Amino acid sequence: MVMASGGIVNEGRRNFLRAMVTVAGLSVVVGMLRGLEVLMPPEISVSGFPRLLLVDENGNPIKASSIPVNGKQIALFPYPLSNEPNMLLNLGDEGGRPVEVPPTTVVVPQNGVSYEFPGGVGPSRSIVAYSAICQHLGCTFPEMTFYPPGVKAITVNGPMDKVIHCSCHGSTYDPYRGGAVVTGPTVRPLPAVVLEWDQATDELYAVKMIGPVIYGHPGFDTPTQDTVKNPTGDLQGGTPAGTTNTVVKYYSNPAL
Amino acid sequence: MSRRSFLDWLADTFHLRDVPFMGVPDYMFNIEYWLGAIATAALAWQALTGLILLLYYQPSNAYDSTMAIIHTVPFGSILLSSHLYGAYVMIFAVYAHGLEVFFRGAHKRPRGAQWVLGVLLFAMTLGVSFVGYSLTGDVLSVDAVGVGKGILTALGLSGIIPVFFGNGTQLDLFTRFLGWHIILAGAIILFFALHFYLAEQNGFMPDPKEVGYKAPAMLRRDDPRIKPWWPRNFTFMLAIVLLTWGIILLIPSILAIPQVLDKVPILFSPYPGPSPTSPQASSVPAYPPWFFLFMYKMADMPFGLATDIVMGIFIPLIVLLVVPALDRGDLLHPLDRPWVTALFIMGLTWVIELSVWGAIQPGVPVEPVWFVLTIIPPVIISFGGMYAIRRLWVKVRGRVVGLAGNDASSKAGFRLSKDVAIVLGYLTSIVAIVAIAVSFTLNPISNGPYVGMMWGTALISLAASLLTYFYTEYL
Repeated sequence: MVMASGGIVNEGRRNFLRAMVTVAGLSVVVGMLRGLEVLMPPEISVSGFPRLLLVDENGNPIKASSIPVNGKQIALFPYPLSNEPNMLLNLGDEGGRPVEVPPTTVVVPQNGVSYEFPGGVGPSRSIVAYSAICQHLGCTFPEMTFYPPGVKAITVNGPMDKVIHCSCHGSTYDPYRGGAVVTGPTVRPLPAVVLEWDQATDELYAVKMIGPVIYGHPGFDTPTQDTVKNPTGDLQGGTPAGTTNTVVKYYSNPAL
Repeated sequence: MSRRSFLDWLADTFHLRDVPFMGVPDYMFNIEYWLGAIATAALAWQALTGLILLLYYQPSNAYDSTMAIIHTVPFGSILLSSHLYGAYVMIFAVYAHGLEVFFRGAHKRPRGAQWVLGVLLFAMTLGVSFVGYSLTGDVLSVDAVGVGKGILTALGLSGIIPVFFGNGTQLDLFTRFLGWHIILAGAIILFFALHFYLAEQNGFMPDPKEVGYKAPAMLRRDDPRIKPWWPRNFTFMLAIVLLTWGIILLIPSILAIPQVLDKVPILFSPYPGPSPTSPQASSVPAYPPWFFLFMYKMADMPFGLATDIVMGIFIPLIVLLVVPALDRGDLLHPLDRPWVTALFIMGLTWVIELSVWGAIQPGVPVEPVWFVLTIIPPVIISFGGMYAIRRLWVKVRGRVVGLAGNDASSKAGFRLSKDVAIVLGYLTSIVAIVAIAVSFTLNPISNGPYVGMMWGTALISLAASLLTYFYTEYL
């Protein structure tokens, strides 16, 4: 072969270069194949339910007594993972007075297992929080929302107020009774967030979940007597909502 | 030689000697002729990393899922930051390719359609980047969405806001952005295929000296200097791709090193900005991505947003599209088509000037006097300067263009000795092997930027050793 002005190089050196380039190429391929580990989804789970302070978007704690009763706005906060939104409700009667939500036993119609809902918290024991993801097929707020007293949702049992109703397929839940099923098609109650109220500071904490596993998380459609009391499936399949606090955001209620 | 027979086996099995791609003369193995290839290599990287990002991105949880890619997915920080810098490199390469084509007159007949497709690819590249940039859901993304909606409203097109930005919920916004990002990326790949097909069919633009700076500048298919595509073009192409990918990995990885990251201005940060709901968000000025700064500054001009946008987006785009019609003559040399050349220099000056200004004073309204002081001088300097150079050019043109008859390779410059090249090839191969070895000692989550640096170094070194191989073997 006639070479350009660069000159002719002996065969041995050229072969050695070819070998070097091949080895370098193979090592780059092998080294970067390690990058396929990127396809392995990280195992993210929180080891236990975290105790998170409810704060507003500026990081200031939410005061329990300032949460509007039957509020025109729906307060949402993620817990325990960032893809698990929950509705924070201050329940009241037709006159706009807070209503005490008593502890109650909630039954899962799917298989009859039951659990104890601890009731409302706050100065009037009227503050509750439920998953904002419907247990039927996973529709979420704003499709599923709270209908305050006087605002009727059209359900298979006729117009009803004081319910959480999902407009996707019509599932209806009773927030005054632990999120129990009022009408299907859902066969499971809404998971509830167990809240804690600090009387001295008027601040609220989310401490754990109770009831079925949140829709879409491991074991959500197979509740057992054990999991409804401690739905650890909620802790898998997402990133933690926060380490010490979780942010409450207000949205207008489409039911109004 | 077992290696040689392996390459032969590869060529036979995959009919690589028969691929219908055009071979090129030796002088085209020069980066100047491969700017489009760099853009394409970046596009390939974007498709690859984009499809993997699709496995992790959640429109329902845009910001948190993006940050989770960086902090929890193995090699995730490299994946995300190289997708960003892949876009930057692609935009940069598209600019370089377009300017190169213009100044060489490569848009002239018979390549007018290639130019128009190229301008559309340029516009779609900027569009897909805007959407991709907004997908992160950080504070800049929220600002960008606000600006985008404002622009549509100012143009009287508020009716189509839902087409791009959805029905008003965050979920619909990011679901649509993801959809549009993928639709535009798919469209870019389709348009690229057509653009490349035309480039192959029209043949590559030869050195304009060879054709006396006159269109049509064609390389004859039976030119004896053209050697087959396999293995020469393939090897060179592989080196260009590896080099591009190496740069795409290396730059953001260096910027992502914790000690460096703090000092990187947000416009060039390899990671998303703060969450729009975080307290830090208020300290971040509303910046568009750097490649849109010129448009953003145009929106500050004192003529009302609608006029500003028409001047900043639509008129430049239309002018670019009709360049083949504006610049119809057969003369290729930029000084032989002075007014279009001056127009391009003026436009390029405006883009740079407005971008720098936009970075320094984002969103600050412009007083009419400052508009005049920044917009008028480039007009006078470009056209006046071109007029002055023209007067000189007509005197020397005959001599400069007359020399063109000689073969392009006659310009005997510095040539690297092949013995030296071979030693460089050994060294760069070793660097690549060492960099990969080091990368194995690093953790894919906590040491992401360092892994990226090692991979980038390895790819660039491998590209360099492949180029020395190409040089000693084929040139």
